Amino acid sequence: MLAAHLVLLPIVVPLAGAALALVFWRRPRAQAGFAFGALLAALASSAYLLYHVWTIGRPVVFQVGGWAAPFGISLVGDLLSATMALMCQLVIAACALYALGSREAATTYPTFYTLLLTLTTGLTGAMLTGDLFNLFVFAELLVISATALTAISDDRLGVEAAFKYFYVSTLAGICLLIACGSLYISYGTLNLADLAGRIAAAPDRPLVGIALAMLAGFFMIKSAVVPFHFWQPDFHATAPTAISALLSSVVVKLGVYGFIRLTTLLYAGQSDGLRAVLVALGVVGLFFGGLSAAGTHNAKRMLAYSTLGQIGYILIAIGWGTPPALAAAVVFAFNHALLKAAMLMLAGYLASRAPVKTASFEVLTGLGKYLPVAGALFLLGGLGLVGIPPLNGFLSKLLVFRSGVEVGDYLVLALAGVGSLISLVYIARAFERIWWQPPADGVKVKPGDQLFAPALLIALSVVLGVWGEPLLALANATAVWLGDPTNYIQALQLVRG
Amino acid sequence: MDALTALCIGAMFGIGIFQLLRRNVIRSAIGFVIVSNAINLFLLSAGAYDGLVPAYANLIGVRSDALPQALILTAIVISMGGFAFVLAMLNIVAARYKAADLDEISELKY
Repeated sequence: MLAAHLVLLPIVVPLAGAALALVFWRRPRAQAGFAFGALLAALASSAYLLYHVWTIGRPVVFQVGGWAAPFGISLVGDLLSATMALMCQLVIAACALYALGSREAATTYPTFYTLLLTLTTGLTGAMLTGDLFNLFVFAELLVISATALTAISDDRLGVEAAFKYFYVSTLAGICLLIACGSLYISYGTLNLADLAGRIAAAPDRPLVGIALAMLAGFFMIKSAVVPFHFWQPDFHATAPTAISALLSSVVVKLGVYGFIRLTTLLYAGQSDGLRAVLVALGVVGLFFGGLSAAGTHNAKRMLAYSTLGQIGYILIAIGWGTPPALAAAVVFAFNHALLKAAMLMLAGYLASRAPVKTASFEVLTGLGKYLPVAGALFLLGGLGLVGIPPLNGFLSKLLVFRSGVEVGDYLVLALAGVGSLISLVYIARAFERIWWQPPADGVKVKPGDQLFAPALLIALSVVLGVWGEPLLALANATAVWLGDPTNYIQALQLVRG
Repeated sequence: MDALTALCIGAMFGIGIFQLLRRNVIRSAIGFVIVSNAINLFLLSAGAYDGLVPAYANLIGVRSDALPQALILTAIVISMGGFAFVLAMLNIVAARYKAADLDEISELKY
């Protein structure tokens, strides 16, 4: 096998797994086990891809069908793509583990694991592709799988949330198609590396600005940035627990990945305006997400709103755009994915143990008395989200603040500090409500989901908080690569121009 | 002819978005299809098709670019799948809420 095929494996393994998992649709346990095995194989392949890219020191490129670069579809695994793909598959594998130990009816749906695998394919593919239209195809695969997975939720409002999400996401897809058309009219190519070179050479074609606006709109809807966030809390709170954990942690990172690519590759020279907008929207999101999370009455919804705030930090770092800030954005994205997935699983776990199956604080009040292990995990994860050592959340916030000091943007830094305090308020309030208040008379917990998956993720967060050096080195190397887009462009060996 | 194509695509976008924003879910789904088709026509005109010859006429100099047509084929398949999916969801929504008005399909408040 050639080294170039490595970049194909993280996409093809889950896709083949999805097709094969359908064969076992009459035997749910076999299907679940097979799908989990396929996800682990995909995770191993993306880890090996990252290791390979890291050791050879240049991006791995695969040309689908053997067509040379700007004509065929390229799959490119550089450090950013490979790190993001590894992050996604790690969290998705943990979510599949949670689903294996879950009592939710949705996880026994005959195509649940198939849809989970196609979602993995879409998300990984969108991060590894080097072609704008191919990004659209993978993003649509992701959207349809996520919608179907939420529509089969045990929560009867899941269909309404899925319907809303599908409309908004289709609108995002339309934005991306308009951007594809505009860029194709202007430059006659859809290959990201080729486009980057041509935009840098002739930045004043008439439709370039429209394409930038449409791409920014697409990625903002994908990551639920504030003016486009309205579908997100409903969608993430009503999905089955295993799915809401991955939606709110890794699926929103598609937009983060897109913004990093937009500002460092595609529009590397002309993105000052976009960066200023990202910093502003990040600050707005920080406050909007934090205050909304503090005002909710449902643990899952609180964590969904908290994602808006945490994405705000990443956007601020991308907006600053210096190498340390980009490294901070990558570290923050990675750590937030682990922590938010674990926290949402814990919220779902509490809901599954509650007398009425809901994550509403009214029902959960005082239940913590019977669930001490979940309490310890929730406390650790919550401290991580707030950014208190020794959790990895501290490291990510430290990096963001330090890069901000280097940039000298003290106003935004002060606002980000206040936003961080808001997150302390809502996490502390949730913890106090569930574990410190006495339960209502005669309340008993039911048997429910298993705690393996969130325990695993929290353990990983603690390890990354205490021994963060490898992740930091990786993020710093990624930022160096991002600072010089010519590496990415030359790796594709474009045939013309 | 270019201007006419552009005007038609613009009108389709307008009609589609107007329908998409209607309160009735079925009209809204139809708007979804109209917007998808407007996008496909936009991509077609991105391929240097000047509107006077068939899209792949073998005339030297006015030959159309084949790539946008491949993109349109993909986009048609995806939007067809998406539309079927929307209709399937509408079926469930209509059965569950006994309504076709978006103002009545809004129980997600808490």
